[in-house]
Amino acid sequence: MIDTFALALAHALLALTAWRLFKRKDLDHDGGETRVVWGRRPDA
Amino acid sequence: MHDLALLGFLLGLILLGLRKPFIFVLGYAYVDIVSPQRLSYYLLNSLQVSLIFFVLALGGFLAMDDKKGTRLAGRQVLMILLLLWCGFTTLTADFPAAAAEKWDWVWKALLFAIFLPFTLRTRLRIEGLLLFMVVSASSMIVTGGIKTVIGGGGYGTLNLGLSDNSGLYEGSTISTVAIAIIPTILFLAKYGTVFPRDWKVRLYSIALVFACLLIPIGTVTRTGLICIGLVAIMGLRDSKRRLLYIAGMGVALAVAIPFLPASYTERMHTIQGYQADESASTRVAVWGWTWNYVQSHPAGGGFNAYLGNHIKIELKDARGQPINNQVEYDKARAFHSAYFEMLGEQGFPGFFLWAALHFTSLFRLEMLRRRFRKAQGEDEQWIAPLATALQHGHIIYLVGSLFIGIAFQPFVYMMIASEIGLDSYVKRTRPLKARPPMGQTVAMQAVPA
Repeated sequence: MIDTFALALAHALLALTAWRLFKRKDLDHDGGETRVVWGRRPDA
Repeated sequence: MHDLALLGFLLGLILLGLRKPFIFVLGYAYVDIVSPQRLSYYLLNSLQVSLIFFVLALGGFLAMDDKKGTRLAGRQVLMILLLLWCGFTTLTADFPAAAAEKWDWVWKALLFAIFLPFTLRTRLRIEGLLLFMVVSASSMIVTGGIKTVIGGGGYGTLNLGLSDNSGLYEGSTISTVAIAIIPTILFLAKYGTVFPRDWKVRLYSIALVFACLLIPIGTVTRTGLICIGLVAIMGLRDSKRRLLYIAGMGVALAVAIPFLPASYTERMHTIQGYQADESASTRVAVWGWTWNYVQSHPAGGGFNAYLGNHIKIELKDARGQPINNQVEYDKARAFHSAYFEMLGEQGFPGFFLWAALHFTSLFRLEMLRRRFRKAQGEDEQWIAPLATALQHGHIIYLVGSLFIGIAFQPFVYMMIASEIGLDSYVKRTRPLKARPPMGQTVAMQAVPA
């Protein structure tokens, strides 16, 4: 029960962290500027 | 259900990583720390999850990441040399099969640590990695903390979610790591940008720090107590109100002691009378054997060279007097110290490479700390506190590892990689102006990014 709770809590937080990082434009470049990758803008 | 949830989580990370490949790097860190394949019963345990994430992380970096200004740092060179040296000692090991077994995971930890700094190109990536490391470790720490509170502790008996007592799930290792990440947790709570710095984040951080402090109690490890003392002392360095801090620590200690279980306080008393304690006496005997061994084998005996030791343990009381000439014999006892582990396994060359890696890291962090200590701008205020947090965590590891054989603990190499990443990031975005010619007194200053 405790194991499952701690595991679920950690994974929920990790998922939330990953999602919030994913949504941030400054993850790949400070200041959030985009750059052209393979002919298209990755955040477009 | 349990397996499906873990699989779903990993698939989610892969999906996000397809757009933002740095998520693959975080996925590898998570897999390495939590080992979901070992927690799984039937789905993930047959997959090479860490290999999948490493390939994705490397591929994502090579195909999509910006590599402008990327340089190989001195400490990455040290790790490459250490990796090559470890490969050599594995080929010439005293116990080839046992050495190959350890080499199998050590090379992966070192390779990832060499690669990781290249990906840490932004402040957010450094923060994201540290957050993932801390929250991943929290899956064990929260389990251990709750079980300790309800009385389920004991060395080797505090089940942290996995019963095999290896890797970060081993009592002494998680004790040291849990205390070593406290400064980073406090940094993330104060300067983190991923989550809003509100009461919820502060509350969770305080609860997590409390759980971290409970781990050495739950696992009944003396090393953890030493680390707690150290983290308290180092907190003084940047404390603005030192007297208040010392008084607060005293009150916290006075309040905490009555709540400590008797088994814990009894074991902690053996720190003073280490000679009367068999576990500690064995360590001293193994260290003596290792020192003698490396005199005749200066290149070390390869991984798990301790299997060749035969030791004589003379039990003594707290005053150093023999207890009725009590002598015990033992063999193949583990090093119980990262320093002697390096010396015995990798000889003097490996030991000096390893020591250079750690002490260069501490020195570089100190340079960053001093350079940005008085930084005022929002974009630079976080650098000195992060350097301090990482440095304190690193010192705690170096002290804790005096008594535990965790020279190749992957979590620690990730920590070193984040330190290199921070250093390289600052060098790249805020290079120092060249020194002025002699005789001129132009102050050195940072160039804004």
